[in-house]
Amino acid sequence: MAKKVLSIQSHVVHGYVGNKAATFPLQYRGWDVDALNTVQFSNHPAYGHFRGFRSTAEELREIIEEGLVKGLGIKYDAVLTGYLPDVAGLRTIAATVTKMCKNDPSTKWILDPVLGDNGRLYVPEETIPIYKGILEQGEVFLATPNQFEMEILTCITIKDYDSLKRSINKFHELFPRVKYVVVTSVSIPELHDHSFLSACSDNKAKSAHYFQVEKIDAHFSGSGDLFSALLVDTLLNDENVTIDLPLALNKVLSLVDSILQNTFNIVSNETSKRPLKINDLKLIESRNLLRGEIKPRYKPIEL
Amino acid sequence: MPRLLATQSHVVHGYVGNKAATFPLQCIGWDVDCVNTVQFSNHTGYGMDKVFGTLTKKEDLEALLKGVSELKDYNALLSGYLPNRESVNCMAEYYSQMKKENPELLWLLDPVMGDDGELYVNKDVVPEYKALVASSLVDVITPNQFELEILYGNKICNVSTLKRALAQLHETVPVVVVTSCSPTLFKDPTHIYCVASLRNYGAVVCRVPVIDSYFTGVGDLFSALLIDRLFHMFLTNSSSFAEEVNHVLNVIHSVLEVTLELSPKNVKAAMGSPQEMKEMELRIIESRDCYEKEEMEHNFIYKRL
Repeated sequence: MAKKVLSIQSHVVHGYVGNKAATFPLQYRGWDVDALNTVQFSNHPAYGHFRGFRSTAEELREIIEEGLVKGLGIKYDAVLTGYLPDVAGLRTIAATVTKMCKNDPSTKWILDPVLGDNGRLYVPEETIPIYKGILEQGEVFLATPNQFEMEILTCITIKDYDSLKRSINKFHELFPRVKYVVVTSVSIPELHDHSFLSACSDNKAKSAHYFQVEKIDAHFSGSGDLFSALLVDTLLNDENVTIDLPLALNKVLSLVDSILQNTFNIVSNETSKRPLKINDLKLIESRNLLRGEIKPRYKPIEL
Repeated sequence: MPRLLATQSHVVHGYVGNKAATFPLQCIGWDVDCVNTVQFSNHTGYGMDKVFGTLTKKEDLEALLKGVSELKDYNALLSGYLPNRESVNCMAEYYSQMKKENPELLWLLDPVMGDDGELYVNKDVVPEYKALVASSLVDVITPNQFELEILYGNKICNVSTLKRALAQLHETVPVVVVTSCSPTLFKDPTHIYCVASLRNYGAVVCRVPVIDSYFTGVGDLFSALLIDRLFHMFLTNSSSFAEEVNHVLNVIHSVLEVTLELSPKNVKAAMGSPQEMKEMELRIIESRDCYEKEEMEHNFIYKRL
């Protein structure tokens, strides 16, 4: 039986961000992906201009509660939430998913608290307390903030290993209901921009690990969405196996790195200039990388 | 890497419309851009009181199609179920414009109007499809027999009328594939008959043993797989038309086999029974390795028409 995930994110007709970045990789790895689209845009904002519309909070709630849960009685192994269009949507979806997880504890909620990146907030200010509230009171299984989001959520600036560790400890202290946290990418001065860190921590075991990963010198739209989707797979794919968070993260880092490298190579061959900003992940061209067992390539280091 | 624009319905759960078309095409190397004409919780076969969601408004659909048509990098256009006259008209306008700007584009239109004598769109949709079919811009159409009769304007009771209907449609459309003919036409209720006709090539009759169950989304999967085969056939100037159709039918046969194998026994999916419908969704994901297969297990080509 294929595992089932409800993925609540944005839809772009062209390109690979949000649900378009999450769906195909998860499907190719054998997941039944129920994709609920919070917006439908022609392409993603990195193109400069785009057209489209948002679904209302009530429309989304009705599809989930009346349709999927009550009407069809679908049992999900995971719910994945990423970028949600507005404050009302975020509140409603959070309440709905919380209810789902309470009613069926086998449903694991993977939440990407999308606030911004690289020092820039790209949601309204009032989104921050809502996410804090969700992490405090919701039924979040795993949260996947980036460095900027982690700093906002914990009010600790991450500038070295020590502050990363303090930030993670603070996260567990503030949000004890969240079982696992993955800080997706952390840049600190002593790594000189050549590599980044990715860290994970288990609330119960109080043990944190990090990996050092070499940077590919370009910006990829959608890589974060791909990352959280693949974590759903590496964390929850195997039946009867206890959760091994460092291994799951290690696999995702390895696979995402291969896909980004492949994308970079394809785009480099298409253009004469060295690409700095890559709008579309080459997910279809990378499908063979998505096949089979994922080999972890990095070394886990205790934080 | 070829690129396809698909305009049809989206269901959150299950595999019809864009959900049935997208993954198989991605598995065989297509970048698929989906414009979703509706977002429903599931397909309407579950019973209308079990369907939640919204239609994409005309101005929103227009904005999306305008947005992507400006990107100008498609190799193929596909359309399936569209909920009303406005949406058919909107798709027609932007697809026609793209096709005129780039005649190399392969355009497959599935004129979804109804089945078994019953119209399931408003009747004001009919003239829109008729106009599109007459426009000489569409390359491939995939009507079922009922839809073929509407486009032709007459009932088709025997093989000679079928031939006349195909000849008439070929005046403006190079490829006509009648996805399922009425069982009375070939007087054989044990098979499903599919008639595929290419202008200046002729028509072949394919037949597939009937599987006694109700599957939804097979037509959407069919048109998606067909556009891939025909795209590569035209690209290589090959004359393998009958083999291409046979290939599509083989893949579909494998998907149905996987679906049946993974479904609980004795479930026949009665319309309107949500639990049974859920079990009979096409196993599009579990069939991942069926799409790329080149070898064909069965020969479904029955005879020339």
